Amino acid sequence: MTLDAVVWTALVLTAAGSLSVYLLAVRRLYLMRSDRRYSAGGERLATLAAALAAGDLEPANDPAQAELELLAELLARYSRQLTGEARSNIAAFFERHGLIARELAHLGHRRPWRRARAAFLLGDMCSQQAVEPLLRALDDPSRDVRSAAARSLGRLGSGRAVEPLVRALVEQRVPRAVGGHALLTLGSEALGPLRPLILDTEAVVRATAVELVGLLGDANDAGLLTDRLRDSAAEVRAKAARALGRLGAEEATMALREALGDRIGFVRANAAIALGLVGDRASAPALLEMARSDEFDPAHAAARALSRLYPELLWSAARDSTSGPHLAEAADLTAVAR
Amino acid sequence: MTALRAALEVISLVAFGYFTALSAIYLVFTALAWRAVRRYRRARSYSAVEEAFASPLTPPVSVLLPAFNEEAGIVESVRSLLGLRYPEFEVIVVNDGSLDRTLARLAEAFDLVPARKALRTILPCARVRATYASRRHPELWVIDKENGGKPDALNCGIGAARYPYFCAVDADAMLEEDALLRVAKPILDDPGLVAAAGGIVRIANGCRVEHGRVTEVRLPRSRLAVFQVVEYFRAFLVGRIGWSGMRSLLIISGAFGLFRRNLVEAVGGYARGTVGEDVELVLRLHRYLRERGEAYRIEFVPDPVAWTEAPEDVATLSRQRRRWQRGLGEALWLHRRVAFNPRYGLLGTLAVPYFLVFELVGPVVELVGYPAVVASAALGTLSVKFFAAFFVTAILVGVFLSISALLLEEYNFRRYGDDGDAARMVAAAIGENLGYRQLVTVWRVLGLVDLARRRRGWGEMRRQGLGYTPAGGASKGR
Repeated sequence: MTLDAVVWTALVLTAAGSLSVYLLAVRRLYLMRSDRRYSAGGERLATLAAALAAGDLEPANDPAQAELELLAELLARYSRQLTGEARSNIAAFFERHGLIARELAHLGHRRPWRRARAAFLLGDMCSQQAVEPLLRALDDPSRDVRSAAARSLGRLGSGRAVEPLVRALVEQRVPRAVGGHALLTLGSEALGPLRPLILDTEAVVRATAVELVGLLGDANDAGLLTDRLRDSAAEVRAKAARALGRLGAEEATMALREALGDRIGFVRANAAIALGLVGDRASAPALLEMARSDEFDPAHAAARALSRLYPELLWSAARDSTSGPHLAEAADLTAVAR
Repeated sequence: MTALRAALEVISLVAFGYFTALSAIYLVFTALAWRAVRRYRRARSYSAVEEAFASPLTPPVSVLLPAFNEEAGIVESVRSLLGLRYPEFEVIVVNDGSLDRTLARLAEAFDLVPARKALRTILPCARVRATYASRRHPELWVIDKENGGKPDALNCGIGAARYPYFCAVDADAMLEEDALLRVAKPILDDPGLVAAAGGIVRIANGCRVEHGRVTEVRLPRSRLAVFQVVEYFRAFLVGRIGWSGMRSLLIISGAFGLFRRNLVEAVGGYARGTVGEDVELVLRLHRYLRERGEAYRIEFVPDPVAWTEAPEDVATLSRQRRRWQRGLGEALWLHRRVAFNPRYGLLGTLAVPYFLVFELVGPVVELVGYPAVVASAALGTLSVKFFAAFFVTAILVGVFLSISALLLEEYNFRRYGDDGDAARMVAAAIGENLGYRQLVTVWRVLGLVDLARRRRGWGEMRRQGLGYTPAGGASKGR
């Protein structure tokens, strides 16, 4: 290492360090100005956005180009809380100003983050023009794009999105939480395409479909779900038990009681939870035995179910010092809740 | 004399080589961090956080809070946790045999009543004395146990956890409202793949704290704490992002980390009797999963924030840094098989060797190198001009790296809105290279001495409390 090299390194570092501090100062100044501009025009634009969403603003009174982006941002935010005609007004605004076309074009951008952002923004722009391109985006190679598209399809509330969304979700192309929420937003419309998937050849597909039917369905689905308590995959059996509990399917109580004897612990646990939710007091003795002697998770679930079904029985059992920790916990928690 | 000169020359060369390599690594990491943080910032603009919050399919989480003598801030910390925006979670406070009023303060604030709790016994821990439920917050449990140290308390908390993921949080840390949702994002995206995820820890000294939330971000008044603010930017925004990008993240801060519970149980939980339990656990998870050939990820997420209190006096800071160094040494020693072992991929060939050479042994090289280089210059073995130029360059590299980390923070997060604070951070980025970093090097060497002497325990941590009554201290993560 020569002296010259070290001196040059020092000079470069000094220049780079100074440039960084300069950039820091310039950025602060820029942000201070834009904050000031935003707070000056923000209130007026918020009023404008509210009027636009309510349909009280003529297109001729739309803001100047300079304020358009800010207004679009406000409207996109409002759209998340609005329904009905207000959303149509917002969509009309975005279409009129070519913002939908712009974001649709960005869906074909070579950079994944740009495509993902476009997919996300389109969901808040409320325009049905975006549905088909977003459906195609569910097959995008980037997970972020697929996730944003799933979220937006849920927001746009299009029935056409149900089947592709279900497929994307069960094939794990979109995150469970996001895809599931999108389908729940679409509501009972999603049930039609979901039900046949309960009998899919792949266990992971069946399990997801069963779970979603449990969240979206009604008592009519009980028969289909009850059959899944005998599925070859434990994951499907457990999800079926949970779904039946959520639906409060009384007709499934016999099958659920049988499931208390499943060889897999988490299936037994879910069956116990379900019996508690269904309100099957006749299963109390079985639950009591399970709470005393089963593995940790099923015993815990059984004790909790018992606290819902039969608190008196739980308290009397918990007085026995050999009843085990799960009954004791459930009894004490019930007492605390009172 | 000739032998001394030769020895000094060798030491000087090693010190120069060490410094050049370390600077190059940090410069590469800074470049990687810019790329990763920009990508993350963009992704934040289209991440469906609201949808994850509203979704019944978001996995529930048990938040574990080990506490030892934390009466100063425990109530605020628990309040911040109870106010988290997350669809389904429970908070389990483990009082690790505190000698102060930690338990009493919790009982008063949250209306605790004795309630028996079923505990898994997969992971051993010290005897549980009592368990409490809250009348006001059904999702809160407090476990009172005999003192066994932080890892022991965490193992006890894991035994009490109901949910498939747990988030370990320091008792003096305050999580931001969305922190749990954001740190869980990798798990929401790839539940089968992600074994653990960690968020960023920021320093809360000087900030306005109300009801367990940081409501105004300001710099601390203490210069020592400001140096640590800049140091944390470098450590978290540059170091961890870099390693995470290479799938070789070694540290998930003990102050804030999310883990898959069954996996932690499978590897035996937190190692008791170590003070580097956070590094040790992550290393063990890496080993376990790599040895089984399983695909997995351990990720750092740069945005979810845990605010924590930094030591403001030299004695406490020195104890903390000695303990961190000792903890790192313990963890690396336990997993020495991984070092330079290609079987573990980049973890074995790059990450662990880096931590071994630069983070563990590095301070010794620095401490021996400084006087050796000065002596070489004095004896004429080394040109005085060269020495002076190199010394200035070394300082400038440090300044540049710190200012780059500041710029990274400013462009992507801009937490410190006050212009005066920004100017003070720039001053600290320069100033910390002229004394503070050298002091930390000395403490780290002392940490190695502690390690060699097999010293145990955490040492006393004096704390002011964040916006509440000053009192005694406890343990916390790096």
